[in-house]
Amino acid sequence: MSRQESAAQTPLTPAVLHILLALAEGERHGYAIAQEIEAATEGDFHMGPGTLYGSIRRMLSAGLIDESPHRRRADDDERRRYYRMTALGRRLLDGELSRLSRVVRVARGKRILRDPGVA
Amino acid sequence: MTRLSPAERLYRGALRCLPPEFRDRFGEEMAELADERLRAARRAGALARAREAGRLFADLGATIPREWLAARTPLSSERPEDNMDILLQDLRFAARGLMRRPAFAVVAAATIALGIGANTAIFSVVDAVLIRPLPYTQPDRLTLVWGTQGTQANQGVVYADYVDWRRLNHTFADLGAFRGQSVNLTGGDAPDRLVGAFVSASFLHVIDAKLEKGRLFSEVETEVATKAPVAIVSHEAWVTRFGSDPAMVGKQLTINGTTFTVVGLTVANMPVPLFAPGPDVMMPIGYYPNAHGLERGTRGITVAGRLKAGVTVAAADRDLKAIERQLANDYPTTNAGTSADVVALKEFGVAQTRPRLLLMLAAALVVLLIACANVANLQLARGASRTREMSVRAALGAGRMRMARQLLTESVVLSLIGGIVGLGVAFGLTKVLVSLIGSQLPIDQRTITVDAGVVAFALAVSFACGVLFGVVPAWKASRTDLTGMLRSRIGAGLGHVSTRNALVVVQLALSLALLASAGLLTRSLMALQRVDPGFDGDHLLTAQFRLPAAKYDTPEKIWTMFDRTVHELRSLPGVESAALVRASPLSGNGETYPTTIEGRGEVAASEAPQVQLNSITADYFRTMRIPLLAGRDITEGDRAGALPVVLVNKTFADKTWPGQSPIGKRIKVGSDDWWTIVGVVGDARHFTLDETPLLQAYVPHAQRPQIFTSIVVRTKGDDPRTVATAVRQAVWRVDKDQPIWRFRSMQEDLDAVVTSPRVMMWLVGIFSVVAVLVAVVGIYGVLSYTMSQRVQEIGIRIALGADARRVTRMVVAEGARLVGVAVAIGLVGAFAATRLLRSQLFGVEPHDALTFVGVTALLATVAILACYIPARRASRVDPMEALRTD
Repeated sequence: MSRQESAAQTPLTPAVLHILLALAEGERHGYAIAQEIEAATEGDFHMGPGTLYGSIRRMLSAGLIDESPHRRRADDDERRRYYRMTALGRRLLDGELSRLSRVVRVARGKRILRDPGVA
Repeated sequence: MTRLSPAERLYRGALRCLPPEFRDRFGEEMAELADERLRAARRAGALARAREAGRLFADLGATIPREWLAARTPLSSERPEDNMDILLQDLRFAARGLMRRPAFAVVAAATIALGIGANTAIFSVVDAVLIRPLPYTQPDRLTLVWGTQGTQANQGVVYADYVDWRRLNHTFADLGAFRGQSVNLTGGDAPDRLVGAFVSASFLHVIDAKLEKGRLFSEVETEVATKAPVAIVSHEAWVTRFGSDPAMVGKQLTINGTTFTVVGLTVANMPVPLFAPGPDVMMPIGYYPNAHGLERGTRGITVAGRLKAGVTVAAADRDLKAIERQLANDYPTTNAGTSADVVALKEFGVAQTRPRLLLMLAAALVVLLIACANVANLQLARGASRTREMSVRAALGAGRMRMARQLLTESVVLSLIGGIVGLGVAFGLTKVLVSLIGSQLPIDQRTITVDAGVVAFALAVSFACGVLFGVVPAWKASRTDLTGMLRSRIGAGLGHVSTRNALVVVQLALSLALLASAGLLTRSLMALQRVDPGFDGDHLLTAQFRLPAAKYDTPEKIWTMFDRTVHELRSLPGVESAALVRASPLSGNGETYPTTIEGRGEVAASEAPQVQLNSITADYFRTMRIPLLAGRDITEGDRAGALPVVLVNKTFADKTWPGQSPIGKRIKVGSDDWWTIVGVVGDARHFTLDETPLLQAYVPHAQRPQIFTSIVVRTKGDDPRTVATAVRQAVWRVDKDQPIWRFRSMQEDLDAVVTSPRVMMWLVGIFSVVAVLVAVVGIYGVLSYTMSQRVQEIGIRIALGADARRVTRMVVAEGARLVGVAVAIGLVGAFAATRLLRSQLFGVEPHDALTFVGVTALLATVAILACYIPARRASRVDPMEALRTD
């Protein structure tokens, strides 16, 4: 069993999941990832700089993301690095999301989770 | 760029704690993000800003150790969920778990803290005394050489023998001679007493003496024949006595009436064997003031030797013994029956201390074991009540190892908290311990500290404890039977009961062994305190002085000074009576000599009775209140030139002339003169309270004046120390240059004798009380738990007609069964343990029946009382209530 497959079976930490979600729409630099997560969760998920960059470092070394050679805009701060999702990252995100949606389906079937808006 | 706020600057500073690689790569961006967060929060108000700052620093605080750990592990082993994450998760889990049951956490951590604190404090003393290498260059090669005379070991060495050893041996790199003696320093504002050492040049090389300034002695300067008046002053004396005089080297000092030139100044805290702390001043051995101290036949000096590389102590011992046999051949009159013992310097003085320290450490260790067993028991109980939680987690797919690991983390966290608190306890306890027994240890007590090694010991022990008491509950919990546990809750955890019972039995058994030891030590101390010293220690002041031999060079001069001093002392207000005695009881001084009894024929020195000889002035017995049993006391008439007279003690009289009066008989002791016995006095304990009564003889100071003597003064007032100044001035009226030292009330000396036994009794006593309390809480806990699990069964019994008394009896019987097993095991352990105590006991046998019966009864009573509480509770179970629960 390869390292990637074993990793794919593990539930992702919230930080990794959110970073992958933020990168699903395209490459971003770290600061933008934080802003995106903040906006997407309406401030519920408040990720500290250490958690953010620590997760980025681990995701880089695990091969879930890599550094993009491109700059989005010419005037962008050149110190900023851009990150993008790898194929492995994409597969992992897909796996996690379908796992989560199965969980939600089960919960709904048991009437534990009500549809949003119904309440 | 806007100016940075203090919080922003602080954050940037804290970023430096990150591993450099990580910081270089992400530090700048982290700082920017933090700035942005802080600015956004500022708009929401001060409170929001403080909360944001708190979050940022907490986030950074968690990141720093994580990144350092990651930086140290090779990349290939990293996974998104790496080991560090699991550990952090476990730590959070542990913290939450402990926080949920604060009472449990506090009790468990406090027990561990006490155990660790006691162990660490005692270990810090053990470390300093028994483990840490001595502070010398190549300390393993340093030895002491003692003389032996017939059956008497540990005697001083004859200077002439030392000279021959140095010449003839094959095993020592060198040997050095030294002798400690207090010396009189005059020429300052008031005469002062310094701790002096008379040494050979080779001694300084043997111990590798280090100087701050100046030079060591040369061989010629310390030869007896060619001695030169030179001195080396210690760094400490230089600071305290000579005001750090920059011109110390080259200065002239008047010591014992002779002018010495200071040639060297030692480094600070320079160690010197048998001195703790080191001597104030060192002078050539040729100046050793005891007139005959260096002649053949007089055991006046101590010898230290440095072994040649690779030579064992045993080989050096054989070497010197062979030389001694040869010397006995060459000088049969002086050297017959004499020999030498070579011992490692490390062994000096620890023979007495080692068993005491190890005993205390063992007692502390037992307390720690009991504490561990207790926490393990508490954990098991928690594990049992968490069986369902564990089952659910297991059902959801948590691995067994993972769950065990989580519980183990909790134990280790708990134990480390205990360890850290325990370190605090240890700091305080070490100070207390040193203040109590420091003066009785063979080392410089300033070296006893809670240092890095001791801290490492404490943390290692706490970690080991955590594993020790965590591993069983963790293993048990991880073996949870899923289906069984989820299905029902009756019987949940009953599988642990046997383990818990075993732990309680161990606790009680260990407590019993400790309690028995404490009981024996208490009885021993009581016996020691009941010992009649043979004199009345109340209202007695003692002090010492030594006349300079150069100034008082004839017996007449010495006696005139003593006589005048006694008269001055007697006339002091507040003084009832006063006398001089060569060595006062319990001062540590005193001499024993082989004695010849007239009419019994000549016997070899080694076969002759050993008699403790003291020189006294008239009124000594009256001052000490030692009873005169027969004959007459020493009077002013017993002067030099008159018939030499001696008083003997009752033991001497009874042993030598059983059934006869010794008055008029003659003995030879300490000299070649015949002394006529004129009186018999009561026995007085001299060196310690637990010595077997010595053969004692007292001769008049006037007929045997010695330059060293002690003052004993019986006062009228309550605290005899209040007359110390008057006593000092009385002596100064006779000789204004004479220093006097060691002013102590006799009561202080009497107390000092029982200090070690008392400290040991209290320590072991307190430990055993703690042990019993913890063990009793243990048995209470186990029974309460078992009963809570059996509520239904008991309910059924009551419903079927069992009355409350019967239920109570049933439960107590169950506890009593545990106590019985514990007592049986504990007694066997206690018998074995108390045998090791033998050397520490006085007036009580290690298997003293009374003590054993007493402590067993005590433990059994307390333990069964503890069982009674859950038993009463069980008997009040409402059957309806009990049967209704699921």
